[in-house]
Amino acid sequence: MNEEHFGFLDEYAKKEVRRATLKAVAIPGYQVPYSSREMPMGRGFGTGGLQLTLALIGRGETLKVIDQGSDDSVNAVNLRSFIEMTCPGIHTTIRTEQADLIQSRHRIPEKPLREDQLLVLQVPYPDALVVVEASEDRRKLLHGEADYSRLLVKLYEDIVKFSEITISHRYPTRINGHYVIDPSPIPRWDVPKLHHSPALILLGAGREKKIYAVPPYTQAEPLAFEDVPFRVEDFSDEQGQRRSCVRCGCNSSFLDEYVDSATGEQVYRCSDSDWCNQQLEQQQGVDQAVEVANG
Amino acid sequence: MLEVAPIWQPHIQQQNYRLLLEAMSRPGSVHSIKGLNTISNSLLAVLAALLDSSVRFCDTSDLLETTDIALLQAIQTLPEEADYLLCSGIGVPDFQPRLGTLASPEQSATLLVHVETLQAGDLQLDLTGPGIKQNRNCNIQGLDPDWLVKRESWVCGFPMGVDLILLDQQQLMALPRTTRVEVH
Repeated sequence: MNEEHFGFLDEYAKKEVRRATLKAVAIPGYQVPYSSREMPMGRGFGTGGLQLTLALIGRGETLKVIDQGSDDSVNAVNLRSFIEMTCPGIHTTIRTEQADLIQSRHRIPEKPLREDQLLVLQVPYPDALVVVEASEDRRKLLHGEADYSRLLVKLYEDIVKFSEITISHRYPTRINGHYVIDPSPIPRWDVPKLHHSPALILLGAGREKKIYAVPPYTQAEPLAFEDVPFRVEDFSDEQGQRRSCVRCGCNSSFLDEYVDSATGEQVYRCSDSDWCNQQLEQQQGVDQAVEVANG
Repeated sequence: MLEVAPIWQPHIQQQNYRLLLEAMSRPGSVHSIKGLNTISNSLLAVLAALLDSSVRFCDTSDLLETTDIALLQAIQTLPEEADYLLCSGIGVPDFQPRLGTLASPEQSATLLVHVETLQAGDLQLDLTGPGIKQNRNCNIQGLDPDWLVKRESWVCGFPMGVDLILLDQQQLMALPRTTRVEVH
């Protein structure tokens, strides 16, 4: 493949995405419209994140692609191989700490990101106000005026009905005290990672043709009430003990729930597969060290 | 074979774009522009990474050669209508750039301001805001202090405003609309 085709998109398309990202960073949380090109995969399969990655990446950089925390699921594998095919000279990794760019669907890695890393999130529904206002023109005005009263009423109704805010993912989060964003379908667990993140976070919605950003070291506050504070998922069992990963034993990560097909029991595993592997490796390293020490 | 200057090559433009993104993400941080040589200056390098035929551009202080402007392909227009403006840091801007609207603040101008140097200088700024952990100091030579007064009048109505990219001969730095600037 020759140099002109590096990154699949033509240079005009890349420049448009690039200009949109600069505006997105300058206006934290604002959804910058862009033309969103046709990609050789269906919209809704991560084309927004993909266009961002293709406009960002350069030769010699290392990319990690994850889907729901896993490097091996279909969406991640397909996107990774497409980017590898269209961007000769880049490297890919599954190690969070080795990546310059991380494109992710529905999770932020457990391992804290660094200033020299950049996170791209794939977004299906970019506008947090869509649940209370159908007209985009009116939503744009509400965003401009930072008027989120109707969204807060919606949260309040949740409290009246269920005694707590029932949003499990896509938790509305206010950026730099103005725009409220849909942070993509990350679990609540990941929302605090947006706050004062050392790494720049870019969000791309291909179908909805929007790009927005959470700049580094920027306030990101989940919407809540004084007397009903925001809380993340609780992984305690009936006895109040924190559940741990059945594979690596980690009791501080975000867990996925499975049903053991043989016993019918509920089991829990780390959602972030790289995190889980590294926990295991560390333990094995310790085990080996103990073995060596014991002769 | 025809030799294309590095600043027009896609992989150099990608690198310069990433510097711009880094600069915009971390206001006040200074970055060395890639691909400069005897025939390409820093202004042209940054413009080449950003502009194409779909944006409107105005060289307010006649800093570029007409032949170079033609290579950028951008639509030339008045300062009041431009998406990207190239200005000199000496002298006070006498135009009103686009600030966007409340509903569409992205329809605002990006101002590229040419200064003498971003390494040192008599203008000392203290920056706070998104992208800055606590605060960041920077020194600039060749930026009229009235520029910052004008900027303040443009950015005081967030989300509307303008974003500044400061350039010297080799380097760039950004002041997005969210950055609070104090002059020492």
